[in-house]
Amino acid sequence: MAMRKFLLRRVLQGIIVIWGVVTILFGLRAVSPGDPATLMLGEGASRELVERVREEEGLNEPIYVQYLEYIQGLLTGNLGYSWQSNRQVSAMVIERIPATIELAVAATIVAIVIAIPLGVVSATRRNEPSDYGATLFSLLGISTPNFWLGLMLILVFAVWFGIPYPTVNTSVLALGIVRIPYPTYLGYDFLGFPTGRRAVGFHDAVLAIFLERSFSEMGTWLRHIALPAITLGTYFTALITRLTRSGMIDELGKPYVTATKAKGLPGVLIRYKHVLRNTMIPIITVLGLQMGTLMGGAVITETVFNWPGLGLRLIDALNTRDWPLMQGIIIFIAIAFVVINIIVDALYSTLDPRVSDE
Amino acid sequence: MQGAEKRVVGRRSVLRYTAGATSVVGLSALAGCIGDEGDNGNGNGNGNGNGNGNGNGNGNGDSDLDEITITLSQFPDTIDPLDHITGDYFDVFDHIYEPLFDFEPGEGIFPRVAESWEAQDDGTTHIELRNDVVFHNGDDLTAEDVAWTINRTVDPDIGVVSPIGTFGLGSIEGAEAIDDTTVSISYGASAGLAEFEFGNYARAINQQWAIDNYDAENEAIAGADAEDFNGTGPYQVVDFTSGEEIVVEAFDDYWGEEPPFQQVTFNASGESSGRANALETGEADVTMNILPEDVSTIQDADGVEIRNVTSFRNIFCPMKNTVEPFDSQEFRQAMNYAVDNQEIVDTILSGFGEARGQPVAPGINGFNPDIEPYEQDIGRAESLVEDSGYGGIEIELTAPQGRYLNDAAIGETVADMIDQLDNVSCEVDIVDFGVVSDANQAGVDPDEFEIPFYMIGWGTITGDTDYGVQGFFTIPDNPARTFDDEELSDAILETQQIDDVDERTQALEEVNAMAHEKAPFVFLHTQESIYGVNDVIQWEPREDETIYVWEMDA
Repeated sequence: MAMRKFLLRRVLQGIIVIWGVVTILFGLRAVSPGDPATLMLGEGASRELVERVREEEGLNEPIYVQYLEYIQGLLTGNLGYSWQSNRQVSAMVIERIPATIELAVAATIVAIVIAIPLGVVSATRRNEPSDYGATLFSLLGISTPNFWLGLMLILVFAVWFGIPYPTVNTSVLALGIVRIPYPTYLGYDFLGFPTGRRAVGFHDAVLAIFLERSFSEMGTWLRHIALPAITLGTYFTALITRLTRSGMIDELGKPYVTATKAKGLPGVLIRYKHVLRNTMIPIITVLGLQMGTLMGGAVITETVFNWPGLGLRLIDALNTRDWPLMQGIIIFIAIAFVVINIIVDALYSTLDPRVSDE
Repeated sequence: MQGAEKRVVGRRSVLRYTAGATSVVGLSALAGCIGDEGDNGNGNGNGNGNGNGNGNGNGNGDSDLDEITITLSQFPDTIDPLDHITGDYFDVFDHIYEPLFDFEPGEGIFPRVAESWEAQDDGTTHIELRNDVVFHNGDDLTAEDVAWTINRTVDPDIGVVSPIGTFGLGSIEGAEAIDDTTVSISYGASAGLAEFEFGNYARAINQQWAIDNYDAENEAIAGADAEDFNGTGPYQVVDFTSGEEIVVEAFDDYWGEEPPFQQVTFNASGESSGRANALETGEADVTMNILPEDVSTIQDADGVEIRNVTSFRNIFCPMKNTVEPFDSQEFRQAMNYAVDNQEIVDTILSGFGEARGQPVAPGINGFNPDIEPYEQDIGRAESLVEDSGYGGIEIELTAPQGRYLNDAAIGETVADMIDQLDNVSCEVDIVDFGVVSDANQAGVDPDEFEIPFYMIGWGTITGDTDYGVQGFFTIPDNPARTFDDEELSDAILETQQIDDVDERTQALEEVNAMAHEKAPFVFLHTQESIYGVNDVIQWEPREDETIYVWEMDA
């Protein structure tokens, strides 16, 4: 019962947050420079045309009328039409969600797979070289700007290693360091990560495996997502490594660990079953919140890699000052954030029942 | 009638032969072209590459380069070709939805879907269409389709609300089909001006298709799938991912020559460095809008190169003369003498530009070759400021960021140069482009605008001076003008009624000379268009920022 009440409270709070976001967005649109009708029509539009569009779009109405109409539209699921493409904003948002989810999940997997073992090793081998290495990695990971890391990865793995070196010897080719010119080595263009884009979706890559017994689409998907996922996941990895390390160190000093040791449980079991489980609470919180952040944009990574997710569409909308699209994307991000937070809260209270009692 | 009955075949062939003859390994290419006039001119065979016999390394897996990728900076997210007046959109759409004419910068218009055209004495021009043009859906093109398309473009009541109608086809009043292949276009200006307009903006759209796909609520032709496109162009859409890419393939039933590449992919990357990277790795074969700072990256890479051309886009700073101190011609001229245009081009644009002293660029009908840019002369500028009576005044220049080549840096430099005058203080305000765009639209009524001095650019894409000056300087029915001067306005309006082509060109040159003298702008420069190109592709960029695949070869 307490749990249900707790979640209900969270949902109500979430609704208020979303309403706040919608209102702030509307306010920003109202005070931002640039007449919407002029922006829709571009340079060179005549004043008559601008007036006509203002009239048709209801831009001459008082602000509160426009606000109420906008809210009314939202409640009926109508996010309006893009000024650039004349398409429904909701359709334009929905079609970009899979790419962003793929990237966010891939980055999270990169982070979890690397960070948790790294954190555990770092905590259990304090002040040893492996601990220093993990700490240095975390420091670099947290301090490196996303866009710079992305550009460097493109430069090294797509540009330098991607261009043909006709004179390179085959042993270097066999190491897979250099992409070779035509005809491709053994018929497979195995190197040179793409500079970006998403040539095939995860969904289609999986279908190809089951329907056509072809793994090449999955390979293409992996090659395209590798660099963006590493870029997006690096900060995340560093963060989780540090959290895991400090959480583990705290837990390892607690009496129950001594007790389990006294019982004669193996060290690996103690570390990964008992200690890590208790360390997971703050990690899950951060994972959840960061998933929200990743979902809600990864704007920089998507822009650097031209990854066709919500973040890139948001940047495109900003560049073309396509307000309805911009609003639609940000509202979606806000909703995703709130929903993920509620899920995290639910998980949190499952892992630690004291939370919902508070 | 100028241009009537000219044949397009000769021009394209000349282009192809010239390109073939000048290529590094042009012998094989030339052989390919000469060998079979009817083929696509793609006769370079193997070994064209980067000159070392190792293939072109463009990642397409075929040294014949049967497929190419063109990376733009902005991607059309609509299927309606009449919706936007954006160059990047036309670069894609013109391959699918065909223009009636080919426009050649500095040369005029040439028949394409239209076979010939002839001005009548009654304010109309009759356009004769080819009778063998079919749409991708199999329908024949009729005069009815073309007339309806023009009417849809100029009449917002039956079509999409778009600046193409009010601006691109500004003097066109309507069109009607006379018979199956003849369209009569009526206009309210000289035949020469109308020709420049319909030569650029008249397109062949299928009326029934457009009506079937019309989204009434949204007043546009709407669709999100490859099969939703339907034009008469040499390429038909085979794959369309909204906001990402359009893949087109040669259309088998195309009436004209087979295009040079079987498949073309258009996509976009908003970042200059992203476009440069894509080019280097072979993911793109042609990219546009490379920033000067990325030029050396491409120049240093193998198999790709920079190609640039002075575009039709001038950058300048309008000064609204209905407020002080810009109401003084001496003051406006002083601002021009304060600025060192050549220095800006050399340092901020790394040479990718040309100093300019008139509203339009070379290659535009009416460009006056005798007008030199104002040369920086601080002493003269200070003395003119004193003559104007505004010595000691403080002004502010508003400049955009991210719209033109290094625009913010240019704005700051212009303000600094003006500020170095002893008797003028100038600040700069760097803003979002929307602010500048609004300032440009706000007209000359002092109660209606807040920003009298700002930096903006204008591409005279019709190739005629009228497009570059009338929006800024004419007075009647033009509340969005930026300069209030009866003499200049009358001069422009007179040119709109001159039928004789040479006489009109002469009159437009005089308009440009008058604009130089009256200094409604601080004239800055003509921007270069900088492209990155896979060096096996024979193609010279155009001044009008247009990319046509059929002008390429490999």
